[in-house]
Amino acid sequence: MVKKLKIVCVIIIFILFLTACWDANELTDLALATALAIDQEDDQIKLTVQVINPDEIAGNNFTNRTAVSTYSSTGETVFEALRKLTTIAPRKVYLSHIHVIVIGEALAEAGIARNLDFISRDHEMRADFHLAIARGHTAAEAINILTPLEKISAEKLASSIESSQQAWAKTKKVSLDVLLSSISSKGKEAVLTGVDIIGDPNQGNKLDNVEAVHSPTFVKVDTVGVFKNDQLVGWLSGDDSKGLNYVINEVESTVEETACEEGDDKKVVAEVIKSNTKMEGKFKNDTPTVAIDIKTEANIGDVECGIDITDPSNFEKIEKQLGKEIEQLIKDSIDQAKELESDIFGFGEVISRSNYKRWKEIEGRWSDVFVQQLQTEVNVDVTLRRTGTVTQSFQKEIEEKKKKDEQ
Amino acid sequence: MKHNFSYLLNKWRQKKKKSAAVNNIPSDQTTLEKKLQDTVHSVRSSLGESSDFVVRNFKVGNNQTIKAALLYMDGLADKSFIQNFIMETLMVDTELEEISGKDISNDSGQSTSVSVSGKQGDFFKQFKDRIVANSEVSEINSYESLFQYLLAGDSILLLDGYVKGFAIGSKGYESRGVQEPSSQTVVRGPKDGFSEVLRTNTSLIRRRIKDPNLWVENKVIGKKTNTDVAICYINGVVNEKVVQEVKQRLDKVDIDAILESGYIEETIQDETFTPFPTIYNTERPDTICAGLLEGRVAIMVDGTPFVLLVPALFVHFFQSSEDYYQRSDVGTLVRLLRYLCFFLALLTPASYIALTTFHQEMIPTQLLVSLAAQREGVPFPAYVEALLMEITFEILREAGTRMPRAVGNAISIVGALVLGQAAVEAGIVSSAMVIVVSLTAISSFVSPTFNMAISVRILRFGFMTLAAMFGLVGIILGLIVMVLHLTSLRSFGIPYLAPMGPFIPSDQKDALVRMPFWNLRNRPKLINQTDLEREDTPSPKPPSTKQ
Repeated sequence: MVKKLKIVCVIIIFILFLTACWDANELTDLALATALAIDQEDDQIKLTVQVINPDEIAGNNFTNRTAVSTYSSTGETVFEALRKLTTIAPRKVYLSHIHVIVIGEALAEAGIARNLDFISRDHEMRADFHLAIARGHTAAEAINILTPLEKISAEKLASSIESSQQAWAKTKKVSLDVLLSSISSKGKEAVLTGVDIIGDPNQGNKLDNVEAVHSPTFVKVDTVGVFKNDQLVGWLSGDDSKGLNYVINEVESTVEETACEEGDDKKVVAEVIKSNTKMEGKFKNDTPTVAIDIKTEANIGDVECGIDITDPSNFEKIEKQLGKEIEQLIKDSIDQAKELESDIFGFGEVISRSNYKRWKEIEGRWSDVFVQQLQTEVNVDVTLRRTGTVTQSFQKEIEEKKKKDEQ
Repeated sequence: MKHNFSYLLNKWRQKKKKSAAVNNIPSDQTTLEKKLQDTVHSVRSSLGESSDFVVRNFKVGNNQTIKAALLYMDGLADKSFIQNFIMETLMVDTELEEISGKDISNDSGQSTSVSVSGKQGDFFKQFKDRIVANSEVSEINSYESLFQYLLAGDSILLLDGYVKGFAIGSKGYESRGVQEPSSQTVVRGPKDGFSEVLRTNTSLIRRRIKDPNLWVENKVIGKKTNTDVAICYINGVVNEKVVQEVKQRLDKVDIDAILESGYIEETIQDETFTPFPTIYNTERPDTICAGLLEGRVAIMVDGTPFVLLVPALFVHFFQSSEDYYQRSDVGTLVRLLRYLCFFLALLTPASYIALTTFHQEMIPTQLLVSLAAQREGVPFPAYVEALLMEITFEILREAGTRMPRAVGNAISIVGALVLGQAAVEAGIVSSAMVIVVSLTAISSFVSPTFNMAISVRILRFGFMTLAAMFGLVGIILGLIVMVLHLTSLRSFGIPYLAPMGPFIPSDQKDALVRMPFWNLRNRPKLINQTDLEREDTPSPKPPSTKQ
């Protein structure tokens, strides 16, 4: 008995020590990747990875090296290119902290589906990064730009995508699971936000770029790219993007403006603080129809003219005008989508939920039905809540003063 | 492994027993000599002519015919007491004593050594009943009892011609007195602590619990030290089985010396091979009284201020007497904080190792970048780095405890500046690791009992090793094994993890949290089986304002 116990003890001790820390990675052996860029180069995939130089960001002694560096390699597939990186990157590239994956416009036009599987399959990838398309440039260039304030440019990109969606609503943040489900859905098409480079990309990847007060080259999150299946087919303008966000109920806050009087160039501006959309699909005389009902709450944020906003009738007037403006936005947006033949709003899904049998009949030719037959009924209801810290604008007094002067 | 160890230990012990110690006092069991000088000589030679052994020969009685001797140990006995109350009564007062005079005059012609045996008793009795004016007098008739009293500080009065003598209570030795305890300090609460004298300690308890059911039983343990050990409990409240178990285990103790209660603790505890203490010790009389009132048993050892309390459960080591002196919400908060700190002290370095070497994806990017920047240039893996710092800290702590007080400042300067700051600046360790080690150290000091803090210190290294090998999986594995081990432990038959495992709903009120007193109606169920009701105070309410 004692002998057996002894043997078991010895075996346990050896097992413990023979594991040799398998799977362990010291922090100093890892290159923390923050952004991936996937481009098409000839027939191959060019993968660019942005890794951070921790010493430059949080270390004690700063040198004049950059906080991030990028490495590129090409291969038949993303996976192959990634492993090929080991030949040039000094450490093992660690993908868990990816903030942003930028896809080149050329690759997006050719189709992105075949490259997404690795990204969703790899165990190191957390699914909390944003995806974007580099508009007019290669994706590699987009993650090569150094940005002031945020030393890690990928973090700048990610936070821009997030905050602009939250406060401006003219962009659209898309995570991997949303993208994949939209690509594979039959009643919905995918969108991805676009990333523009303003200025000279070659200038932007040098340290000079962040040494100036006003950086000559910077990255801008702008507009939304429209996909059909997995191919990029066109771009929405900023206002169209906002219309899209209204329809799919993703407006958190934005700014709407309307003229004080009809034809007047002076404006009343409202800050949307809450917006709620309900979509209902139905068939009206065999015509698939989607009723879009939007309830929006807003505060008055800016009054440029002397309109009396304490007058309830004026209040109602502004509410109605704002409603019309939003309605127009949405209609333009839908028209644009129809032009691109891509149901980015998911109207197909709405209809399939309301009448599955009829949906099955038109499912196969949905994109034609969407373009030619689909009717939409847009109803926007704006409620103004508060007027800010002042009620009456001083513009009114100025106008009265002007009138007196004229007399 | 456990069985293996104890098996070997037992074997080794048995071997040792064969070569049993030889008694150096041959006259141990024998009665005293009839001739006074023979007895004194025999005692003196037994003590090896020790310098602190004092013999005062004198004569008593009207005609000073009776030879007598007073024996005491210098330093153990109160000299002024002997002078004023023993010598004076014997030498001065007996001269005027009529009765004793009569007695002696009867045998005046002969030497007392051959006095008639019938009168021996009378004379002796008179001595005991009337002459020796002292509250503590007992008869002795063997060397064994003579030495027992003599070495405890009592004075021995021997009369020529009698094979018995008197032991007169004259204990009076230098002791520290009641002082504030140096461990387990409180902000609010009594400031008196136990001292080295057993009698003082029992008095401190009896002063708090004025109940005839507070029973104190004495035992003498230690073949050489003959140390007084007192078992203290409240009859009727205590679990009888536990008392029996304590007595049985104490009876089995066969040891040369008991110099501290730690000797007793180690010889009677349930399980030797565990990092967790199964016996509670404290210097605080209020803590002991609270334990007694819960139905636990205190074991006091002469010569140490540390009193043992059994059974001791896991939760007891996270309770401070101050929990009950502060309001219940404060007590609860502090108690929860202690449990948090237990896990912090146990797992912080292990978690740091696991997260930075296995699970980098779990650390927020900004924090990871900052950690990576600090680790940049550190030549060791995280585990080695953590081990280095932990060992350094343990060395500092041990040095701080053992060194003379005067050089205390030197250690803190060396520890904080040289080791902490310089090591970081030299890039040998990362500053994050210094933070981790400091957090661990501070957390381990939160524990109100020192011995639980020590078990955490031991286990911490195991967890660090597990984390270095298996990451978080290893830590969870270690925790599972630790909990399994804890559930298997018993303290004098009571499950160690009670009242959590086995789960006793009513005892939860005073385990992780501390409910108000009016809610703590019953004593803990597991320890105590009878007389459960503790109190019946109604919940305090403001007086009604309605008429």
